Amino acid sequence: MKPSFPALVLTWILLVILTLAGAGLGEGASPGVGLTLIVAFITALKGGMVIEEFLEISGARPGLRYPVRVFGLLVPVCMVLVHLYGPQIARLTSLTSG
Amino acid sequence: MLDSQSVPVYTAEMVTPESRDTGIPGNWAIWVGILAEMTEFALMFFVYFIARAHHPEAFHQGPAKLWTLAGIVNTLVMLTSSFLVASAIHAIRADRARTALTWLVLALVTALGYPIMKVLEFRWNLAEGLDGGGDVFQLAYYYLTFNHLVHVIWGLLGMVWVMTRLATGAYSATNHRGLVAFASYWHATDLIWLMIFPLFYVLP
Repeated sequence: MKPSFPALVLTWILLVILTLAGAGLGEGASPGVGLTLIVAFITALKGGMVIEEFLEISGARPGLRYPVRVFGLLVPVCMVLVHLYGPQIARLTSLTSG
Repeated sequence: MLDSQSVPVYTAEMVTPESRDTGIPGNWAIWVGILAEMTEFALMFFVYFIARAHHPEAFHQGPAKLWTLAGIVNTLVMLTSSFLVASAIHAIRADRARTALTWLVLALVTALGYPIMKVLEFRWNLAEGLDGGGDVFQLAYYYLTFNHLVHVIWGLLGMVWVMTRLATGAYSATNHRGLVAFASYWHATDLIWLMIFPLFYVLP
């Protein structure tokens, strides 16, 4: 479905608010899993809004729709995985053992 | 036997590009480019995360070294220009070509803020001693953001092209596939920046 003009305006306002909120969190909050989860959630939410409302991907064929949606989740998911399993990922991706 | 009156007659006006729903926003050519762009950045994101797993300290300290305001301004510039391009598509669907052109002019003026801000940011970085010869965070930062800047510049050239086409009457409510193709590329480039921004400017 094509978004209406008020829907586009609302999307833009929400994206601006989420950007400023995310940046404020990064400046003020202490590092930890909670902050990583919040930043990942905000990133996924913003990406999803651009994909669905601006790119209008829901009207595209599945061969385009699903890869683009997966791309929008790639960075947020990796943020959380690297925070939780950083040392294990480093071991798995080392060229030398030990 | 069919008589001539029972056979539907299709004219060029009835079968327009926009009346054939192919399930592809814009055209295949632009989506080959967009999917290639996404694949390229997905690989760079994997490199970023592997580097982050190996050098957590460099990445924890990284965002504090950068000019956060420049990152925020560029995010707002990309989001706003994307919204203005989406508004141009909304206008051309209603057959309001002049309004669509106005939205695109505003989008171009806004989007030009991105390379200007990037130049100011790179100058600020160099004054602070942040060059490409620093730690792994700096290397990743320059590689990803400079690459993204190149894609934005291509998008700006594309924006000028569709504005020229729109101004010369090439697009209408029934034929604007080229404009949608450009808009798809621009939104994809915006999406990639939304992924880059928290990795370098927000996440400690």
